Amino acid sequence: MITLEDDSLMFRFPDVHDAASCAIEFQRTLRIPDDGRDYPLPPGVGRFPLRHLDDFRADVPQDWHRRGGVIAPMHQAEAMWINFTSGAGYPFAVKIATGKICALTGDGWVNHLNGDPQDYLVLPDQPWLDGYCVEEGVIRQFVAMPLGAGYTVEEQLTGEALHGGLQIVVYPMKPERYRQLERLRERLRERRDDVVYCFEEPNPENVACMFDMGLAPGGRMRQEVYDDSYGLDAWDQRNASRCFVTIANSAQWMAITGERPPTVLPTAKQYTTAGLPWFEWYGGDAEALAGADKLRSLSSVAQFGKSKGERPLPENETVEVTHTVGLRSDDATRVREFSSGETGG
Amino acid sequence: MTHFGNTLRTRRERLHLKDKSFSLRQVALRIGVEPAYLSKIERGEVAPPSEATTVKLARELGEDPDVLLALAGKVSRDLQDIIRKRPRLFADLIRQLKQAPDDAILRVVREVRDGDW
Repeated sequence: MITLEDDSLMFRFPDVHDAASCAIEFQRTLRIPDDGRDYPLPPGVGRFPLRHLDDFRADVPQDWHRRGGVIAPMHQAEAMWINFTSGAGYPFAVKIATGKICALTGDGWVNHLNGDPQDYLVLPDQPWLDGYCVEEGVIRQFVAMPLGAGYTVEEQLTGEALHGGLQIVVYPMKPERYRQLERLRERLRERRDDVVYCFEEPNPENVACMFDMGLAPGGRMRQEVYDDSYGLDAWDQRNASRCFVTIANSAQWMAITGERPPTVLPTAKQYTTAGLPWFEWYGGDAEALAGADKLRSLSSVAQFGKSKGERPLPENETVEVTHTVGLRSDDATRVREFSSGETGG
Repeated sequence: MTHFGNTLRTRRERLHLKDKSFSLRQVALRIGVEPAYLSKIERGEVAPPSEATTVKLARELGEDPDVLLALAGKVSRDLQDIIRKRPRLFADLIRQLKQAPDDAILRVVREVRDGDW
């Protein structure tokens, strides 16, 4: 079952295991320059608001209502990353797609998991996903663009603008595999008398709706997507929960929900000039996926715009990052979020 | 020491063992209060802080904000607003669910509907 709690999607599988729950949220972030350079991880600056689509049945197109799920607002050319939390450490396989194109393989949507090429990421090993896996250790950032303009991954790969948005399916680990894993973890804990976290597990006609927003490949960022060290057989594919996240542009969000969308964020240059930190992730020894040829061959938003004589990304100046904070696997979520101007009560 | 203060201190000190940035001083700075004030909160010498500060503390320490607010004897503003809008309905619902086991409560929680896509 999926519930919406404090702008997070909570996935729970009480019929599989009491500990089988995880949260997925969408973090607002700086759009990194789309200039061919590789950048470190930008900060999270708060969650995108999420609402049940069913709450606005009278105000949304029939297509949107048919999909179900939730709705989120994004400004054109705004970026996001996806934050995964498995509080109890229960493992999950999670597939992420945009416009029903897998963000790891570039293949079309299927409801089951594929191991070769691996079309899912594994929680809790993978704390975040910032974009499309284009090379080993490199992603291209998720950037919102209007569906129908040709920029999105869906349009570049299929020539159609039918779906937009973002799609998720979550599969819990089989309970018997989890119990084996727990026994292994317990033995590891007993062997260690220090407290350093060091986890070593086995290792227009064809446009469905002109209102939709989709996601397109932005600038390059250093981020690894990890190989599944458990194997395809570990996942309980009979117990999946999936969700369609419809992305509305700011004007639509206001018209539908009556709420103001989040304010526009500072640019990467403004953020960096202010001396604020970027991040690097040290995830241990896990193997990284190689990235997909299909995704690698896509044009980034800036490249695509140039070919059309357009300038889709305002404020796309190259940034010299000098302040980078290294993160380890036990403090990932806490420190990658940056809240500006908050004062105590 | 109050249960609230004790919970905070225990959690912070556990994190501090792994990460020196969870010192009293650094946590206080990150949530925007004086270290001496946070120390008094942990020792139960002052009343729990405002809702906003409690929520910041919860997020800083990886605790659930609603749980920490409850330990502080508070209910979050958004929950109060929800109840005020339909007080009879929610009061009745909460009383009926008072003794229900967790799994029964989860069954009445509204699910995100998956449609056809």
